[in-house]
Amino acid sequence: MKILTLIRQVPDAEARVRVTNGAVDLEGATLVMDGMDEYGVEQALRLREGGADAEIVALAVGPRRNEDALRTALAMGADRAVHVETDAVLDPISLSKVVARIAQTEGIDLVLVGGQQADWDSQALGAATAERLGWPQLTWTNGLQVQDGALTGRHDVDEGNETFTATLPAVVTTQQGLNEPRYPTLPNIMKAKKKELRKDTLDQYGVTPLVRVVGAEIQARARMNRVIDGKDPQAAAAQLLELLRNEAKVIA
Amino acid sequence: MIDFSLTDEQKQLQQLARDFARNEIIPIATEYDQKEELPWQVVEKAHEVGLLNTSVPEHAGGLGLSMIDEVIIGEELAYGCMGIYTILMASELGITPVVVGGTEEQHKRFLAPLLDKPSLAAFALSEPNNGSDAAAMNTTAVLDGDEWVINGTKMWISNGGVAEITVVFATVDKSLGHRGTVAIVVPKDAPGQSYNKIRHKLGQRASLTSELVFEDVRVPKENILGGIGDGFKIAMKTLDKTRIPVAAGSVGIARRALDESLRYARERAAFGRPISEFQAIQFKLAEMSMGVETGRLMALKAAWLVDQGLPHSAESAIAKAYCSEMAFDASNEAIQVHGGYGYVGEYPVEKLLRDVKLNQIYEGTNEIQRVVIARQLLKK
Repeated sequence: MKILTLIRQVPDAEARVRVTNGAVDLEGATLVMDGMDEYGVEQALRLREGGADAEIVALAVGPRRNEDALRTALAMGADRAVHVETDAVLDPISLSKVVARIAQTEGIDLVLVGGQQADWDSQALGAATAERLGWPQLTWTNGLQVQDGALTGRHDVDEGNETFTATLPAVVTTQQGLNEPRYPTLPNIMKAKKKELRKDTLDQYGVTPLVRVVGAEIQARARMNRVIDGKDPQAAAAQLLELLRNEAKVIA
Repeated sequence: MIDFSLTDEQKQLQQLARDFARNEIIPIATEYDQKEELPWQVVEKAHEVGLLNTSVPEHAGGLGLSMIDEVIIGEELAYGCMGIYTILMASELGITPVVVGGTEEQHKRFLAPLLDKPSLAAFALSEPNNGSDAAAMNTTAVLDGDEWVINGTKMWISNGGVAEITVVFATVDKSLGHRGTVAIVVPKDAPGQSYNKIRHKLGQRASLTSELVFEDVRVPKENILGGIGDGFKIAMKTLDKTRIPVAAGSVGIARRALDESLRYARERAAFGRPISEFQAIQFKLAEMSMGVETGRLMALKAAWLVDQGLPHSAESAIAKAYCSEMAFDASNEAIQVHGGYGYVGEYPVEKLLRDVKLNQIYEGTNEIQRVVIARQLLKK
């Protein structure tokens, strides 16, 4: 089988971002593979290690620097990578067109994609891709196996957790708890250099963005710097309770 | 041709080392510093991801990483904890004499097994009564039939006692000076070895430092690296290289001092504003940044010379002395930025100062580095 795992590149969780001329300025920020997509790569590797005869293709659509994230996927163990290089910022619906096309031309059986992205919280890419392909989609999975050409697994729904089976091909979105991604080991980093990283252009897919971002603002969180004096523990606990109840309103 | 960019591969290994420091080293650094214990699980994890014994050559099954790669990794790991980085660095130090002084057959015999499971190497040169005057060693090696018989005591040995192989420097005849010195590979299981863990170190307390005692320790004749009289030379060639990771580690410490200071200075308010708005603090931050940037360049330059096969003795000495002093100053100022909080273990900066002090001493004191640099100057 063939597994396509989509990679996005986002600022490191500790990076400081700023806005310049109405757009998020990533100049100088450390960029890493999105954690959600890392679960996807890891799961693809685990499916293969669990006995599935799988070829794993990593895909990124974005600027040149995305190559770094693709190399990480290759170093983790993906077999080859496709980079659709573009500086255009694609909304999820436009992006899904590229993903769906590649899934078709590559003869993909399983598409793995992060349930959401750290920098664009739409949660729409998996669904839109499945819709275009007419494939089943399983969202927010936290367990996934392949048996006799069918998927089985678990995923979160509003009311709790369901187990499912589905036929392939399918689209699966990942989330925290699915697995614990491995480090790309040093020997694999060295080997990744020799793996194929194909470059495509966005023109080849005839896709243009449907949504244009015209402004951005960063939500700043300021600390209140309020300290409860702990000299009298009982009074401090009472004060904390009162604040949690009436000010923060996090307990009843 | 000057190019300051890292290759894709180097960016990857930098990221790996950075993640490793963040996830495996930083969370446990304080605990193992306090316990004065070597965190073996970090050695295991480093082995698993390939960050251990990276200088083992490719023909012995290793990665044969370049010195530039080692510098990139070293800065990241030492950012997490210099003491824990010393465990890994000292293993490379134990491997290097085998690489520079041994034959290909010896590389395979001694180094390939280090890759099979989490294993450390060690380098045993200093003695209780001599350190900088290394050629004056008292440990003896006597050839008895097909075996070397080693007697003596070695001091300040990182990984001493737990290393799978230890390169021991000894003399066959003290009256010959450095022309009587030998370098011999001693496996951990050779009988007659014992070690005493050195306690109450100021810093780098997660690394194991030992006194090693050799009593009629016998190893095969074939365990000698080079010939009789090559010991001192092999030790010096080794240190010319391995001082560079000390420089890289120092840069890591300084960068940590800067990051911690930046964070604290933004949060801490005095006279109605964050202390980062005062020039007295800003100058300290700027100074630290100047040190990190210049130190890193020097460490990389020395590493580049090694990788190009060019002479690098003076440059590695400059990098080591400069970076360790720069990092000492940065750690010292980081405490000052933190005020009273910097003086206690609640913040990591007091540990930086305790740890970095050793970087001015081991692998050749900074005074010896200056001797090396001056000798090169006067030779011309």
